[in-house]
Amino acid sequence: MATMGMTRGPGSGYVQRSGSAGLYEILDLLLDKGLVVDVFLRVSLVGIELLTVDARIVIASVDTYLRFAEAVNRLDLGSTQDSEGLPQLVDDVTSGGAQSKSRGVLEGAKEAIFGSDDEDEGEDEGGENGGSSSSRSRSRSRSGSRSSSGSRSSRGRSGS
Amino acid sequence: MAQYVYGIIDAHGEPPAGTGIAGAPLRVLAGDGAAALVSDMPADDLRFGRQEMLTHARVLEAALEHGTVLPMRFGVVMDREEVSQRLLHEHGEALAAQLHELAGKVELSVRVLYEEEPLMRELVAGDPEIAELRRRTQGHSADATYYERIRLGELVAGALERRRASDAQKLLDELSPVSLAVEVAEPSHERVVLGASFLVERESVAEFDELLERLAAARAGRMRFKCVGPLPPHSFVDLAATV
Repeated sequence: MATMGMTRGPGSGYVQRSGSAGLYEILDLLLDKGLVVDVFLRVSLVGIELLTVDARIVIASVDTYLRFAEAVNRLDLGSTQDSEGLPQLVDDVTSGGAQSKSRGVLEGAKEAIFGSDDEDEGEDEGGENGGSSSSRSRSRSRSGSRSSSGSRSSRGRSGS
Repeated sequence: MAQYVYGIIDAHGEPPAGTGIAGAPLRVLAGDGAAALVSDMPADDLRFGRQEMLTHARVLEAALEHGTVLPMRFGVVMDREEVSQRLLHEHGEALAAQLHELAGKVELSVRVLYEEEPLMRELVAGDPEIAELRRRTQGHSADATYYERIRLGELVAGALERRRASDAQKLLDELSPVSLAVEVAEPSHERVVLGASFLVERESVAEFDELLERLAAARAGRMRFKCVGPLPPHSFVDLAATV
């Protein structure tokens, strides 16, 4: 019965579906939701701790405004064919600002976690920032002094 | 010995088939009102990455097929005594209550994204000032029209924000009759219409799917819909001590 199955096929229609194999899509849930207790040790997460960088795109910024201006200027309203999509745009607008740096950090982390086979996902998400995880990731700095050394002996204890 | 903790299951629950992180067997540490689904951490240092995350998700998915599971956040490791004392004993009542409350319920994670170009077209068409500024800046050098471009982008951002709020609310209104609760995430980038987790009765998943399909069909070409699940209720579990 379809409702009991834990994974669903690609589906016939307009909704792209996946089970938890759609890891990219549920990264936020795995990292930031779910139960924790004050005594837990959180293992070192290779690359993943980088996601705590607050790289959430700042919509009210000059960089973003210029990018939007570029996006509407690129529209060819006289024709239905417009070859310039967002990915192109993003490539063009790589300023030296903090956003670009954050983006680089996040992409590095994503690559560390997901490998290169998730390139589609990056494109799906627009590629203009770190994807889905950043907004929820901000709160994670509370979850303690996780070490980036990768050694279990240096795991941070969360809480006090 | 250090235990990797996947989630909380019924006190009489069985471990699902398959192995856990680093290939360790899945085990159940039972408490009074709840049990922890765990596996031994390997003795040598283990770096956690994509593979371990997939295992965590897969184990929870398998456990969900057996019954109710309250997922732990990825990466929780506790000593065995701590699992028994600090998790199962100290939080036993809360865990039992949530197992009861969330029985038969699953999480569906929905993401809706705007298609960039149709969105920009709509925003231009919907606001004469945007259209006018677009006309005045198009084809001129970026330097010469710098401030007009900023103004244009600001107007687009404002129009997008209003459209997003309205589009997201419509989707939430449509989906709320088939869901018990919803957790909406802050939009993580500009093209996000809605990122939300819905708590749904297991037997209502098909109904939710059909509704989502209809909503997506009606917005085809303008928005792209993604749905992951059924998942254990990550977004709907809570402990007083959750940090």
